[in-house]
Order: sequence, then C-alpha cells, then structure tokens
Amino acid sequence: MSMVRNWSTGRVVALAILACAVVVSVFPFLWMIVGMTLNPNDVLRGTLIPGREFVSNWVKATENYNLPLFFFNSLKIALLTVVFGLMVNGLAAFGFEKYQSKARDKVFGILLLTLIIPQIALVIPMFRMFAFLQLLDTHAAIILPSIMSVFIIFFMRQNFKMFPSEIIEAARVDGASEFMVLLRIVTPSMQATFASASIYLFLGQWNAYLWPLITVLTDLKKTLPIAMSSMMNAYTIEYGALMVIVCISVLPVLVLFLTMQKQFVAGLLGSVK
Amino acid sequence: MEKRGIYQRYLNRFGWACVAPSMIFFSLFMLYPILSSLYYVTRKWKGMANTFIGLGNFARMAQDKVFQDALGHNFIFMVIQVPLMILLALLLATFLNQGIRRFRGPVRLAIFLPAVTSLVVVSVLFRVLLQSNGLLNNVLLNARLIASPIGWLNDAFWAKVTIILAMTWRWTGYNMVFFLVGLQSIDPEIYEAAEVDGARKFRQFFAITLPLLVPVILFSAVTSTSGTMQLFDEPNILTWQGGPANATMTAALYIYRQAFFVNADFGYATAMSYVVVIISGIFAMVQMRLLGERRAK
Repeated sequence: MSMVRNWSTGRVVALAILACAVVVSVFPFLWMIVGMTLNPNDVLRGTLIPGREFVSNWVKATENYNLPLFFFNSLKIALLTVVFGLMVNGLAAFGFEKYQSKARDKVFGILLLTLIIPQIALVIPMFRMFAFLQLLDTHAAIILPSIMSVFIIFFMRQNFKMFPSEIIEAARVDGASEFMVLLRIVTPSMQATFASASIYLFLGQWNAYLWPLITVLTDLKKTLPIAMSSMMNAYTIEYGALMVIVCISVLPVLVLFLTMQKQFVAGLLGSVK
Repeated sequence: MEKRGIYQRYLNRFGWACVAPSMIFFSLFMLYPILSSLYYVTRKWKGMANTFIGLGNFARMAQDKVFQDALGHNFIFMVIQVPLMILLALLLATFLNQGIRRFRGPVRLAIFLPAVTSLVVVSVLFRVLLQSNGLLNNVLLNARLIASPIGWLNDAFWAKVTIILAMTWRWTGYNMVFFLVGLQSIDPEIYEAAEVDGARKFRQFFAITLPLLVPVILFSAVTSTSGTMQLFDEPNILTWQGGPANATMTAALYIYRQAFFVNADFGYATAMSYVVVIISGIFAMVQMRLLGERRAK
C-alpha cells in the first residue's frame, strides 16, 4: 500500500491517461452504433443521442447498397478460406514438425524468407496470372491465394512441437496409420491451436482489401471492404447507411473477439514466442 | 534392419505428402509471381503491348518525383508513428500493470477494442470524423482550442497527421497487449528490491522495465515498420487516393495506381515494387540482427 501512496500524484496522472485512452478507444464504436439511427448531418456532427432514422438507414443499406449480398460474399469467402487454410496449413505444419528431414527444413527456411515480401510486390504478376486464367472477378481469385499462409504454418508448427512424440509412437505401435494419428489423436488435442489459426485466417480474409480491390470488377462480386471503399468514392455519401454497413462489418469480428478472447490473443502472441 | 529402412522411407514420403498441398499453393501464388516478376521488371507497357527496356524502369524511377516523395512519406510515417505508438503502448501497459487493480480486465479490453476493426473501417470512420464540418473539428471549436476548422483531409500537413492518428488509434492497444505479456513475465521481486533501494517509479521504468522489454519492443518495431512500408488502405480511403495532391501518397498506393489505374504499366510498377522489397528486406535484416544481439546477451 505504501508503494501506492508515495506515488499518488503519479497515480492520478496514470489513471487520467488510462481513462483518456479508454474514452478515445471506445468512443468511435458508440458513435457508429448511434450513427445507424441518425440522419447524415447528425452522423457528421456526432450526436450521441439516438435518432429515428434506423429503419430508413437500414432500408437504404440493404436496397440501395446491397448490404446482404456483400455480407454473404464476405462470409462465404472468409469461411472457405478458413476451411481450406486449416487443412492445407495444418497438414503442412504437421509434416514439417513430426516428420523432420533436412530437405524439408530447408524448404521451411525458404518459406520463412518469403515472409518479408510485401503483398504489393506479388499482386501484379498474380493479377496477370488470374487474367490469363480468366479467373478475374471470381471469388476463387480472392480465396485461392490466401489459403496457404507461411505465418499460420509457422504458428501451428510451434504448437505441434508441444505435442509429445511418444504418444504418436505409441499409437503407431498400436497399429494406427499415420493419417489416423493426425486425424484421431493429434487434431482433437490441438483444438485451441486450430481455433487461433481459424480466427487469424478469418480476420485476414474478412478484412482483406488490396487483392479483392484488384480482382473484383463487378458490383455483385464485392466484399464488405470493397463495398465500403467504393461508397467513399461516391459524390454524395449516405452517412447513415454507411454506419449500418460499417457496424455490420465490425460485428462478426467483435463477437469473435468477445467470445474467444483467449484464442484471439493467442493468435497474435503465437508470433512472439 | 532392411524393414526399418523401408519404414523410414514410408514416413519420409508421408512427410512430403503432408507438405505437398501447401507447396502447390506456394509455387502458384508465391514462387511463380516472384519468378515472373523478373520478366515484367525489364519491360515497358504501352497499351496491351510491351517491349524490353532492360533497366530502363529503374532509370525512370530516378526521375519520378512522385515515387520518391511517396517513399519519403512512408519514411515519415515510420519514424514518427512507430516510436509514438510504441511509447504510448508502453506507457499504457505500465499504467495498467502497476497503476490499477480493479477493472484491469475491462480497461485492457477497451483499449484493445480498436484492433478488431479492419483498416478499411478505420479509414472510413476517421474520414467521417475528420470532415472539416465533422465531429473532431466541432469539439475543438466548441472547446475554443482552435479558431477555425482544421483541414484534416485537405491540408498537406494535417492529412499526414490524420494518417498517423488513424494508425495510432488502430494499433496502440494491439501493441499494448504484447507489452502487457512482457511486463507480466518480469519478476515482481526485482521491483521490490528496487523499492528497498529507494528507486522511484520513474527510474524503475527506465532502469528495469524498459531494458527487460527490449525484445518485445523490437518485435513490435519490426512488425510496425513493415506495416508502414506497406501502407495502402489508409491513404487510399481516408485521405482519398493519397491526397491532397499526393501529400499522403505512399509507395504501395503509387505502385497500385501505376499498375491498375493510371496507365497500366506493369513493368514500371514491378520495378518500383522491387525497391519496396529491398527496403523492407534491409529493415527486417537490421532489426533481426538487433534482436539476435539482444538474445545472445
């Protein structure tokens, strides 16, 4: 207690700064939620008293801006990326970790090296490739390049390390095939790892901007970020409807975060270890 | 003995089978783009046709003021935003760790909250909040902190400030979580000993906390600098295509616009992306070396 007392002015400053940080962090969320119920002018001015425009904003967002379609496009793309991403990266991480060989370790080293390549350097040749394959303006074009993730392989490999090899050996002695070992013994006990990887893959795709911006050419293929981005290019911006779309696009991530905080943060921290 | 050899070979083959699907994706969407970029970088596009120009694209870059400025902007954002954010995140983490007991969980959650928004959402939100007749200007005007509205989005200087504000809002809480984990791994007895020696909190922060957190801080710095090198969403949406008048143009955005917007010159855009790769690589190497030295100690 004495520690706290002789630092009391400092403590007041600390609390004040923390309080400011909380207000600044949370305010935009309150503002955009209330914004859904306001007319454009009140959104701009930033009233925190709910208005009566919610229904008309919602109707505008769904009818004029096709919100349900963009939402389901985003959801479909993100979920497919998660499903394929877990299979491809999980399998790779298992292979790299539990069947170590010099050759594969070298391959893994090359994979890690590519982590420093910024996306902007890859999108030009990739765009030419997808144009050649006539796959531009398809959801496959968005999903395919995001399935394999070096970071996820790395993250999952770190976690597979903790799975005792003795158990695998024991299962082999009992006559389990390698595939059964992975499917029936390793996977069930790595649920937390798979959950973190899913969240990471989902967020990456749900929030993806640059590559969808390049490949999506028609309105019907748009994802939520692309839809918001093109709304911001319009001459007049319907702020109320915009807030509806913003809230809807933040909602799934917020729910994921609040319900799975542990795995959510583990996904971030996996990279520190 | 022979049987064991066969078994080992089987296991090795199974290992390759596990890795194979990811290798196919890797070859298609990483290896092939890298290799084919070697072709693009030597070409100049005119309409649909392209011709070989060797290193001509790099010569053109030397004359391209907009690209050089764009790189300069990346650099400005890096040297101002990254230290600012790391310092702020460190402060908040320290206060959170030592200053309060009750509500620690909810406060941490609240400060982390901006990290659930996508960069597109952040850009949209800030673009609306920072309109000249928008919320922030209204608040500042009403508080009599400013006499006339600030051109957050249409003044060359303030537009850069805006980008920095948006990035700081989005990423401070995210980095704070790393620092909190780092702080919690420091043995409280070290602080108790310092307390006995009469070291004040301020001194404890610089003498104990900061040195022990260096690995985590470096990690944050590595990921954040690579983030600022790739800055794209914010200048494209928040300050609208790198505006005003290219004041917030970044390398990635300029490359994108050269390739897909202005004149579809994939060769020139590729050459510029090489420069970004090289710069990112150098930063990564320097920072990794710093990190390695620390680990060795």
